[in-house]
Amino acid sequence: MTFLHLFIVNKSGGLIHHRPLSKHAPHIGTNDWLRIGSTFHSLHAIAAEASPVKSKHKNDGIEFIEAEGLILCCFQTRTGIKFVITAEPGTRNLQKVLREIYVSYADCTLKDPFYELEMPIRCELFTQAVDDIMRQYG
Amino acid sequence: MSKSSITASGHTLWSKMPKANTELFALTYGSLITELLKDYDNDIEEINNQLERIGHSIGIRCIDELLAKSEVNGIDIGPCSNLENTAEVVAKIGFRCFLGMTCDVANVTEKSFSLFLYENPLSIFVELPETTNGDDDDRHQSFNSDGKENSGGGPDWSKLKYSNVYCGVIRGALEQINMKVECDFVRDVLRGHDVNEIKVELKEIMSDGAGQDYHEE
Repeated sequence: MTFLHLFIVNKSGGLIHHRPLSKHAPHIGTNDWLRIGSTFHSLHAIAAEASPVKSKHKNDGIEFIEAEGLILCCFQTRTGIKFVITAEPGTRNLQKVLREIYVSYADCTLKDPFYELEMPIRCELFTQAVDDIMRQYG
Repeated sequence: MSKSSITASGHTLWSKMPKANTELFALTYGSLITELLKDYDNDIEEINNQLERIGHSIGIRCIDELLAKSEVNGIDIGPCSNLENTAEVVAKIGFRCFLGMTCDVANVTEKSFSLFLYENPLSIFVELPETTNGDDDDRHQSFNSDGKENSGGGPDWSKLKYSNVYCGVIRGALEQINMKVECDFVRDVLRGHDVNEIKVELKEIMSDGAGQDYHEE
């Protein structure tokens, strides 16, 4: 029951981070990643509009996709960033992991003085923090 | 969220945050101000603007940290139903968890609110010098308590918004959650008033999302 991939989409739909989370994760090329990121962003927005029930929480959209071969969990922050994680079916704690990753994002990426908001994340500290989270939950 | 739970959340988050030395913090900020004075040649207006800009860069990052840390600590801030709610969160959770400050909300209208800051950690060692009207013949020297010298013909110190960085932080943070605000430091203990007051005015609530095209008619 392992995690497969993590990707982070910014407010405008651009992919700012993607990485495999284990050895089992299939390899996905960079262009495919960019496509996945923007497609997910649009689907998330359309799902919020298409929903028959308006949620009280403004963060309406795709939260969880369960398919035969994988499960996908998305957490959209109030500031518009989407943290998306995929895993093999049966994996638990997806929501918790996403929230921990959000905290690492705030502590490692945002506090990096050279990081510009909405830009691709290239922070060593963030990568290590996600590795630590994976070690804890994986 | 009720007012008492907001205050309790602020205290919880404050206890979880790593702490820094207050004096180091205040003196570092003071030296930042001194550098700005040198860089901008005592142009007080420009310095106020720069402080606001610096605060803005800080604010856009603080909001994510606040939201992230409250999620993992089981505090559900929840979408704010009105401006007063937002003001309470900024005052009781925001200022409390990052700076340990007690802050009160007042004068809430539909489009604005005021924040009263009681102790200001940034200005604990500061005294603004007297504004001197300079004559070249009559060089008057005054000192602020950091020991920095200020020669006469000088800038109008009463216009310096020493803690203007807070205004920028509030503006930046609220901008990230789609609220466009303007903040102003209207009363300042350093300038002789009895309390620090920041006035926040809501300009507009920006909308993001699928955009107008996808809405049903």
